[in-house]
Amino acid sequence: MTKQVLDVFQVIANPERRHMLQMLSKESLTINALARNFEMSRPAVSKHIKALNDAGFISIQDIGRERYCTLKQEGFIELQEWIEHFDNFWKSRLQKLQALLDSKAPKK
Amino acid sequence: LEGIIRHEFVFTQPPEEVWNYLTDPELLALWLMPNDFKPVVGHRFQFKARARLGLKFNGDIYCRVLEIIPFRKLVYSWQGGMSKENPSLDSIVMWTLTSSPGGGTILLLEHKGFRGMKNSLAWFTMNIGWAKIGRRLRNHINQKTL
Repeated sequence: MTKQVLDVFQVIANPERRHMLQMLSKESLTINALARNFEMSRPAVSKHIKALNDAGFISIQDIGRERYCTLKQEGFIELQEWIEHFDNFWKSRLQKLQALLDSKAPKK
Repeated sequence: LEGIIRHEFVFTQPPEEVWNYLTDPELLALWLMPNDFKPVVGHRFQFKARARLGLKFNGDIYCRVLEIIPFRKLVYSWQGGMSKENPSLDSIVMWTLTSSPGGGTILLLEHKGFRGMKNSLAWFTMNIGWAKIGRRLRNHINQKTL
């Protein structure tokens, strides 16, 4: 049993998990209902569900005997934050480079 | 969606001068980050950034030089996260230098190939229907690729 929390990139890189997200984008589904659409063992399905839950892509709610999965925004926002972080980072660094070069530019 | 992050900067200095600031570790440290870069294909080096724990990023960036065309192109891998062994961010940084008509340099930075990202972004804006996030992302990306 390896205990490993996958990050958002790893979670979304997997086609089965993407397929699950896609199904959940239309409606909340029970784990059983989700599992019926995949040719894999129940433990395998549960593992994917857990990864999606841990990364904040879905939430799980117990209603009666069923466990319902619902899409959640958190994971998607984290993906976007990574991109935005580096986008801003590069922009500010390049401005710094420009200022640096200009400050010591020998006039020809 | 080829280049997720793309910035083009125009410098009045010629490519040779800008190139020095991309490839000399001391000059590079002046504007980017402390590093042990060497302009040798295959060389492994590190950048030290500020940690962003909210993003699960401890500040260590592990890189390897993938391609060098002197004064024209520099490519390195860019990995980071909370551990070297299991980086959340597995990407490529590509610098392209072009002479501009006035004797200056057009410097293009592309930070791309985010693992898990390349296929997923298009996919989730199209399929998940998070209209708001999708639109923001698309705007964001279109801005960069214009």
